[in-house]
Amino acid sequence: MKEIMLSFDGKECKGTLGDTILEVAQKNDVYIPTLCYLKGLSPIGACRLCVVEVEKNPKLLTSCTTPAVEGMVVHTKTEKLHNYRKQILELLFAGRNHFCMYCSQSGDCELQRLAIEHGMDAVRYPFLYAPFENDATHPDLMMDHNRCVLCLRCIRVCAEKVGAHTLDLQKRGWAATVCADLGQKLGDSSTCVSCGACAQVCPTGTISVREFAYRGKRKDCDAVVESVCPLCSVGCKIKTYVRTGSIARVEGTGTESPDGGQLCHMGRWWLPESTERERVTVPMIREGAHFREASWEEALALIAEKAKPAAAAGKAGALVSSLCTDEELSLFSAFYRDALKVDMDTFDGDILRGFIKGFEPFRAQGVRPFTGAHNILESDLVVNLCANAQDEAPVVASYMRVAVLRNNAKMIYAGDMADPFLGLSDVSVRFNGQCNDASFLKELTNCIMALAESEVDLDGRTALDSYKLSLKKVAELAGITDETAGELVKLVSAAKKPIFVLGKNLAKNPAVITAAGNLAIAARSFFEDGLGIVPLVASGNSLGAVNTCVSEKPWLRGEGKDFLYVYSTGMIPEDEDSLSAISRSGFSVIQTPYLVRPLVNLADVLLPTPAWFERSGHFCTIEGERRRLNVIVPPQAELKGLSSILEGIARDLGLTVGRPESAPCEQFFVSSVSPELAKMAAL
Amino acid sequence: MPTYRSHVLVCGGTGCMAGGSQVVQARLKEELAKKGLDKEILVVQTGCHGMCEMGPIVVVYPEGTFYTRVTPDDVRELVEEHLFKGRIVERLLYKPSEKMESVKHYNELPFYAKQHRIALRNCGYINPENIEEYISRDGYQALAKVLKEMSPDDVINEIKISGLRGRGGGGFPTGMKWEFCKKSVSDKKYTICNADEGDPGAFMDRSILEGDPHSVLEGMAIGAYAMGANEGYIYCRAEYPLAIKRLKGAIAQAEEYGLLGKNIMGTNFSFELHIKEGAGAFVCGEETALMASIEGERGMPRPRPPFPANKGLWGKPSNINNVETWANVNPIIVNGGDWYASMGTEKSKGTKVFALTGKVKNTGLVEVPMGITIREIIFDLGGGIINDKQFKAAQIGGPSGGCLTAEHLDLPVSYESLTGAGAIMGSGGLVIMDEETCMVDVAKFFLEFTQAESCGKCVPCREGTKQMLLTLDRITSGKGVMEDLDKLEELALMVKDSSLCGLGQTAPNPVLTTLRYFRDEYEAHIKDKKCPAKACAALIQYLVSPDLCRKCGLCAKNCPVNCISGDRQTPYVVDQSKCIKCGTCLEVCPFKAIRKE
Repeated sequence: MKEIMLSFDGKECKGTLGDTILEVAQKNDVYIPTLCYLKGLSPIGACRLCVVEVEKNPKLLTSCTTPAVEGMVVHTKTEKLHNYRKQILELLFAGRNHFCMYCSQSGDCELQRLAIEHGMDAVRYPFLYAPFENDATHPDLMMDHNRCVLCLRCIRVCAEKVGAHTLDLQKRGWAATVCADLGQKLGDSSTCVSCGACAQVCPTGTISVREFAYRGKRKDCDAVVESVCPLCSVGCKIKTYVRTGSIARVEGTGTESPDGGQLCHMGRWWLPESTERERVTVPMIREGAHFREASWEEALALIAEKAKPAAAAGKAGALVSSLCTDEELSLFSAFYRDALKVDMDTFDGDILRGFIKGFEPFRAQGVRPFTGAHNILESDLVVNLCANAQDEAPVVASYMRVAVLRNNAKMIYAGDMADPFLGLSDVSVRFNGQCNDASFLKELTNCIMALAESEVDLDGRTALDSYKLSLKKVAELAGITDETAGELVKLVSAAKKPIFVLGKNLAKNPAVITAAGNLAIAARSFFEDGLGIVPLVASGNSLGAVNTCVSEKPWLRGEGKDFLYVYSTGMIPEDEDSLSAISRSGFSVIQTPYLVRPLVNLADVLLPTPAWFERSGHFCTIEGERRRLNVIVPPQAELKGLSSILEGIARDLGLTVGRPESAPCEQFFVSSVSPELAKMAAL
Repeated sequence: MPTYRSHVLVCGGTGCMAGGSQVVQARLKEELAKKGLDKEILVVQTGCHGMCEMGPIVVVYPEGTFYTRVTPDDVRELVEEHLFKGRIVERLLYKPSEKMESVKHYNELPFYAKQHRIALRNCGYINPENIEEYISRDGYQALAKVLKEMSPDDVINEIKISGLRGRGGGGFPTGMKWEFCKKSVSDKKYTICNADEGDPGAFMDRSILEGDPHSVLEGMAIGAYAMGANEGYIYCRAEYPLAIKRLKGAIAQAEEYGLLGKNIMGTNFSFELHIKEGAGAFVCGEETALMASIEGERGMPRPRPPFPANKGLWGKPSNINNVETWANVNPIIVNGGDWYASMGTEKSKGTKVFALTGKVKNTGLVEVPMGITIREIIFDLGGGIINDKQFKAAQIGGPSGGCLTAEHLDLPVSYESLTGAGAIMGSGGLVIMDEETCMVDVAKFFLEFTQAESCGKCVPCREGTKQMLLTLDRITSGKGVMEDLDKLEELALMVKDSSLCGLGQTAPNPVLTTLRYFRDEYEAHIKDKKCPAKACAALIQYLVSPDLCRKCGLCAKNCPVNCISGDRQTPYVVDQSKCIKCGTCLEVCPFKAIRKE
């Protein structure tokens, strides 16, 4: 990295070769006004507010797009520039409806801030009062084109980060407006994934989240707390705006990170909503068809009383949510598994067991069997195996779309549903069989290896024959023509950095996961942190649960337990198998922050617990990072923490609970051996 | 190959075709066949001759007799008299004016006498749909020379020596541009031909593409060889269907002859050429917008740097030149850079094609050496102003250019001199205006165009041109105030300085130059509420002069809004509150009793 020196308004500033003028300025606290620029999105130089004068250059240069060059003498605050910027702002205000007092964004608006900053106290040009449309067709978003400054941030984030490419411009010149798809209304768009990224980056009140308009502007909020979204395995970093004890809005962070600070529809709408839901506030005990309030002492004593005989008879169990933090999961396992010695599992236990068992041969070699999900953006071939990322982990779907549309990666789909990325995929295979059959992946691996050998082996006869034979089998298993199969194999073989996205359905059979691992090795899918596999495990901290609460063998569908402890965060609906197991158990203790039905109806004892925004701890995400969940709003006084509750039960049982022994997931899935050295596992 | 005693060239340019030249051509063949002359006389369809005002044009060789405005009905006489009996049909010859004698031969025409046709060398001489005709006039000789005898550096050097500069408007030295692209290291490079000619009234690129498409293909192939490109695009506006048809035909023929495609002339050099049809946006003539459009994106300009020579089409080094620039390459290589540099001024070498339009007698295309004066172009080539009215101004450089006045008539034309006067060379549009043209209205006209063609990306161009146009609207409708002029000028300067691309940076030129040279007209509109040229509808009145009126009632009868009343007894009067100022009354009055004030 070569260092360069520039002068800004007489101040000597240090930068790195490759920086733009604006980047050097920002590194050195030199303020240059910007409007269309947003860190992380490609700069377009459209608003012209960031223009600067550079000595020996007759033209004004947009600092956001012009590379900084050693020795540049930059002027950012001349009278000419100030006047031009002010004129531009006046033109914007005159062009459309920017009457701040009627705008929900007033106070948060970047245009307003810039106008104040430039002392724009009057507009010298006539207001045009052109009637642009106010598109209110989307259930969650509003798009008032009268407030648009055409900075194109929404279009860029939608294309560059979300990969949906829903938004674009229509018409030209002064009449240009942002539109969805081919001139549709936003609510009618068939490509919009309702992630709200456009609203997050909008500098004015053009695209706004309906709810946020009355829940509070950013500037009205009391605090901004960073945390992590617990809703899926990606664990997006979030920025929450707190107002009077409630989360007023949730936004993504880090526009320059691979995800560009995007969230999905779940994070954007469900999280703020969750602070308004009906809560379980005190312990309750069932009496016939009703619950009655009880003291903590009474409730815990009753739990201990029921748990003791059941545990002794081997008929007790604990079912916990993998939306819990690492710390909470460790506490559970120390108490239930190690001390009380009962069966434990998570709601998504079946999926996790499949992944754990399937990954084991590679983990045993010291190879990390997966890689950070954002590495999809680094790959040149995305192989989608039975995954519907838009449902399972929406931001992963964004990565996949961006990889194909912007980074020119190829895409293959193989699965038993309709291809969720039809139109983007280069080869789309809908097999005859089920996703839980390993034979297709196994044969594909053989085929790729045979092809690789054919290339090295000069005589090549045997290898070539085995390739042809194998190709035929692949075609047969997938129910595709030999040509399509050949194309598929060639795509995988030719890719320099393929990456495999595994849907959770694959985990029904661990052999399929292992087969996918073998395929990744055969395709030389190696990343710095592990094999090129992105497992779409179910929830926020599924990977954290792997080493803590997931039992070795499934028991949930078996005979009903006499005693069952259930911990649900109430953020995602419980599956039918779990609900049925709870209803079959003799005595159910249900601990959950919300009055989620039908779950709470199944309780014999109902315990309150802090909600996700009242707790702290760590999540192990498929982004390959351990991310911190922070307390956003402190819990009410009557809510007890998990450790004190478990301690209470232990005391009543006369148990000694040891220190949690389970290691966090990054110590479980270590990368001590380079993935390139990974050996294939026998199937 | 059969030989013919005479070739009859029928113009097949868009202008002449619209005038019926294809029927003339068909009729000619028919008549010749009837006379049994079809084995002796060949009818050839050529490209544009440039003198579109006088079309359809028919030239009979070997004499070079130049017939103008030939209609299908004239054909029989032409065949009978000229081709059968050898007698020139006098009435179809060109007459510079009523009093002057008609001109018989092509090269005696004043319109052609001062021209120096290099880019247009083949237009009107050859059949553009036949590659052999192009080859017979030194076609592809330059490419052969380049491939066999010259290194890429030699080629670039020759272009540098010639002093050729971009003919699309910017005037950037072509040799340097090629060198930048050549120096960019990449596995893939593109050469692009900008044929998105969009200036109102400009049609030089169209004429070259229609009349001599191979000259562009050859130029591009030579450029590609010099820069190390192996793929190229011609971005041609879809409004030029004939040009596209002839380009497609030319590419197919050149490929068939091994002059395009893989291993050209048996060498290692390959060059594949595609045509991309533009969808009708003026801004797509801007090179970065053009490349975005080829890529399938919305045609919007991108900020530079990165320059196309480093990161152009699909992120690869690319070079864009305009049609006319490419057409100049073959003669430069064949005759040498020094030959080309011997023409023109110190910094502007060679020739330039202008599209002469407006209030000038001979409208059409002219190719003249740089350094010629505007007076020569208008009065010698153009034949002067229609109806011998007073010359007032010339808008040079299209909507992005500026207005020059009578004081600039003796200005030698070059990139520098025009920029100095506030105009630009542009692609070579030259609109002549007479005393009846209102300069505020002219500025408004051009601004209306650029405003409507603004892509909307950057604020100064999008919002600034709109506000400027509104101000001009107010002024021309008599609602302007003096402050408007200062505001207009201030806004124009800001738009010029801070717009993203060439469109916005030059859009204010017509306003700035008219403000500079014709400020009094603006002031008359504002202070006196009068349009001195009597062109702005809101500021004029149509009045009946009672002393001249013979009460015939024609005006009242023709008025579309029935606002003229009167009869044999009562004098006719125009009701100003209803008048829409269409001017019909003035046109129909046989006694010149209607006047404009």
